[in-house]
Amino acid sequence: MIDVLHSYGIEFPCGGKGTCGKCRVRIIGGQVQTDARHRARLDALGLGGDWRLACMSRCEADLVIEVEQYFSFILADESPFRFTPAEGMGVAVDVGTTTLVAQLVDRNTGEVMAVETAVNPQARFGSDLVSRLESAMTGHSGEMTRMIRETVNGMIDRMWKGRKGVPERIVLVGNTVMQHLFSGSDIRPLSFFPFESPHKDLKQFTSRELGWKVPCGEVLFYPSIGSFVGSDILAGIMATRMHESDEFCVLVDLGTNGEIVVGNRERMYCASTAAGPAFEGARISMGMLASTGAVSRVERKNNGWRCHVIGNTSPAGICGSGLIDAVAVLLDSGRLGEYGEILDGSGKVVITDPVTLTQRDIQEFQLAKAAVAAGLELLMKKNGAGEIGSVFLAGAFGSYINPTHVIRTGLLGFSEEMIRQLGNTALIGAKMFLFSDPGEIVPVLERITHVNLEAEPGFQDTFIDHMRFRTGDV
Amino acid sequence: MNKQPLKLCIMDPILEKLGEAVEYGKVDLNSPYPPQMKGQDGADELTRQALDGGLKPTAVLSDALVPAMDRVGQKFSENKIFVPQMLMSAKAMSAAMVHLKPYFQSGDVKAKGTFIIGTVKGDLHDIGKNLVAMMVEGGGWSIVDLGVDVNEDTFNSAIEENPGAFVGLSALLTTTMANMEDIVKKIKERNPATKILVGGAPLNDDFRAKIGADFYSPDPRGAVEYLKQFAA
Repeated sequence: MIDVLHSYGIEFPCGGKGTCGKCRVRIIGGQVQTDARHRARLDALGLGGDWRLACMSRCEADLVIEVEQYFSFILADESPFRFTPAEGMGVAVDVGTTTLVAQLVDRNTGEVMAVETAVNPQARFGSDLVSRLESAMTGHSGEMTRMIRETVNGMIDRMWKGRKGVPERIVLVGNTVMQHLFSGSDIRPLSFFPFESPHKDLKQFTSRELGWKVPCGEVLFYPSIGSFVGSDILAGIMATRMHESDEFCVLVDLGTNGEIVVGNRERMYCASTAAGPAFEGARISMGMLASTGAVSRVERKNNGWRCHVIGNTSPAGICGSGLIDAVAVLLDSGRLGEYGEILDGSGKVVITDPVTLTQRDIQEFQLAKAAVAAGLELLMKKNGAGEIGSVFLAGAFGSYINPTHVIRTGLLGFSEEMIRQLGNTALIGAKMFLFSDPGEIVPVLERITHVNLEAEPGFQDTFIDHMRFRTGDV
Repeated sequence: MNKQPLKLCIMDPILEKLGEAVEYGKVDLNSPYPPQMKGQDGADELTRQALDGGLKPTAVLSDALVPAMDRVGQKFSENKIFVPQMLMSAKAMSAAMVHLKPYFQSGDVKAKGTFIIGTVKGDLHDIGKNLVAMMVEGGGWSIVDLGVDVNEDTFNSAIEENPGAFVGLSALLTTTMANMEDIVKKIKERNPATKILVGGAPLNDDFRAKIGADFYSPDPRGAVEYLKQFAA
């Protein structure tokens, strides 16, 4: 069930270990079997009857479930969101480069009434932002604008079916390229140094100008922070409350763009590391998105390892979380050298037949993790950060990711206790925006400085440095 | 038919060690990399010893440095080593070149030619460009590195200051490839005899043909090989 639910913005704080109980669901239609371990966890949490932990449940037939998280608006730092109830319904949309998620929220109670996900149709124009920019610059921008507006329209239509009235407010968040393409703004300034656009401010639309059939109140695409770092990261900052925190925090959103924020209430520095789509499976020979058939987890077992495949079916490829796990396990098993060399000289490793990783795949991973690690090191230096309190790890596979392995591969250099794994902080923040005046983000924006990593002296050296791995005992 | 007499070359042990230092990236004695060469002299010390011992700078270049960088380039093309290791080899080679530079300047060692290189306007990526520059320098060429974000005027001025020079253009962003096309055009307009090499991850040979450049290689070694035919 975790494989299905994580894409609907449901958070799995303990990463699916069954310890936190936050993923509890009530089975209303259909059945979910339990085993002794599951029952023991339910008993420990005082949950009887129809309750199940989503992370320990398997779907064997159609189900109707009630999601506890949809009834209580909890922020990324696990504090309840205090809001002033408002009139009507709102829609929060996370316009991701690869996938979109939308939730219909009752503004009186903060409860989630419906949820929709969709694949970003612009993906055919490129899996990473630069390819997409290039397509937009070579005549496809109009088409890309039209398709994304249609997709969001479809999601809202499906969630709204049968309801009376109209949604009062629709809030969209996304990176700067997504914002520009949705808004129809000129993307050329984003294609060359210094990659800054004059069109990054708050955009407001009417459903009519968007060509939407469902009339609605305000449609707002929130402003970008700077360069490629968009409103999705701004939303993430609000959701983790790091903009109000005394202690220094780190937010890492692992995905195509690898955005990082370091700071606290006084000042925050952010950057996008353009980690590349390796974490989403692209440029990896057998890479794929986290869907049925993807190796999503690899764990050491005896002298080898065992894998979890999404959907428990025959393995067809490997997704981002599986890739990180595989590299960590290969390092611990002594199969990879300090520079990522496959030590037996064969040039490839079989993870689980037929899924293999080639030498080139390992190198792609090294490039991606070096980008994030170097970006983090530079931002922390810029911040002059003292002790880091919390590290929020968010992203498409936040729920799947194994913090031990993230540390083992050198992607992050923190200790495990500091890491809080989160799913979709952009969506949580977007929901917060349904209850507040857009002007409230202005003072927060003023305290965030975007850093262009490439222009930083020493970035290239740091980047190359972080391509290496730590071998030997942890 | 005249046959060339077979030359039996016994490599001076210092040159052999120097070749290894460059191949495995041992910059100098104090450098901790690579771990298996800890405590040994690096390219810096060995080049000094070679020259002080009376070995000709041309021999140091052609018998030790060039073949070593050749082997490194080969391993990189075959994915056997990656960017960090190649960079260490390039650093070792640069350390050696520091000792050879005076001989180039005095004319004792003739550079094979001049190679002007830069990353095109709008793009700041330079790791690849730097690797190519170091490898071509290791091949015995004199390098004029214009840095990053370089426009057509800067390239053209450099060509006019270095008549007969070859030019290398680098771009890593697909969005700056358009600038590369523009720059190639402007160079050919002002300095039509100039041969232009292009490189960068998003490029391919079709693109090279389309923009009117003369050579494309997916790795630094190709550039070195291409330039060999024009060596002075």
